[in-house]
This record gives sequence, structure tokens and C-alpha cells, in this order.
Amino acid sequence: MTAPAPAPAAEAGGDRNRALAAAALGWVVPGGGHLWLGRRQKGLVFLAAIPLMFAIGLGLGGRLFPFDGGQPLVLLAAFADLGNGLPYLVARIAGLGEGRVVAESFEYGNTFIIVSGLLNMLVALDAYDVALGRR
Amino acid sequence: MSSHLLVMMLFAAFVSLIFAVLMKDQPAEQVKLGGRLFAGFVGAALVLGWILFPFPR
Repeated sequence: MTAPAPAPAAEAGGDRNRALAAAALGWVVPGGGHLWLGRRQKGLVFLAAIPLMFAIGLGLGGRLFPFDGGQPLVLLAAFADLGNGLPYLVARIAGLGEGRVVAESFEYGNTFIIVSGLLNMLVALDAYDVALGRR
Repeated sequence: MSSHLLVMMLFAAFVSLIFAVLMKDQPAEQVKLGGRLFAGFVGAALVLGWILFPFPR
């Protein structure tokens, strides 16, 4: 005797939970969502490239922006930085990302950090789509 | 790293790599798209740079 097939609504709910878990994992660990879903090549590339891009941004003197509601652009940059997931949290705890404003590469560093965070958000959303079978 | 051109090319390389891997599944397609994106980023930056050359301030 076999187990009854799950009702379509329950199956859809399960898929959605799995997709949310993949997206969350992909945000915390860049590429983690893809690795969990078996997309090994993509996951490894994201796992290497995004934290490296973030680290280069810090090395160039970039700043981890504060969550300052009084400055809307700074607030947006802070959310973009947060997109880096675990590397962002590690850098925050380690006290990195103060930003060297006088460095000629300061703005480049900011750009690397912000864009790596935004790219990781895209990667996490892609993991969500992959888990739902849309890609 | 003090070369603005090299930093820009490094940035273009990272963004091209991630977009190409994100958008294509086959390695050959990824290389093709990544190369086109990289050439586009660097080419556009050089063109814009030369257009802005007469306006230093």
C-alpha cells in the first residue's frame, strides 16, 4: 500500500517553503541556495565571486553604510550592503568597513560592496525561481 | 590598486561573470554572454571616458 499523493495545495505550499528556504540560504551564504538545489557549478561560482568582490571592496577602502533613516541614499546603500549576507555580518562583527574617505579608491570600494550585495540578492531570487521550477 | 582602468575592468569582469552564470546554463553560453557583457562594459566606459575628456570639471 503506497502513501496517498499530497493534495495539490499542500504540494504547492511545500514547494513555496522550499523556495523560500533556498532564497534565504542563498542570501546568507552566496550561492548556498543553488548548491542546496544541486546547481553545483552556479553555486560554486557565486560562492567564490560574490564574497571576493565584497572583500575587494573592503580592501579598496569602501564603507559599510549605517542604517540612517535621515539620509535616504545612505539607507538604500545600507540595505544593498546587507545583501551580502554572511560576509557582511562577519565584516561588521570584525569592525571592518569603516571606509577610508581620503583613499582615491573609496568610491570604487563602495561600488564593489553595494553591487556585490545587489548581485547576491538577484542570486537569491534566482534560487527561489529554480526551486519553483521556473528556471 | 591605483589604476582606475584596472579597477573598472575588475569590476566589469565580476559583474559579467555573475550575470552570465546567472542567466545561462551551459558553460559555452556563459562564456559567450560573459565575454559580450565584459566587452560592452569596458567599451562603454572607454567611450564615455573619451566623451567626457574635454570636460574635466
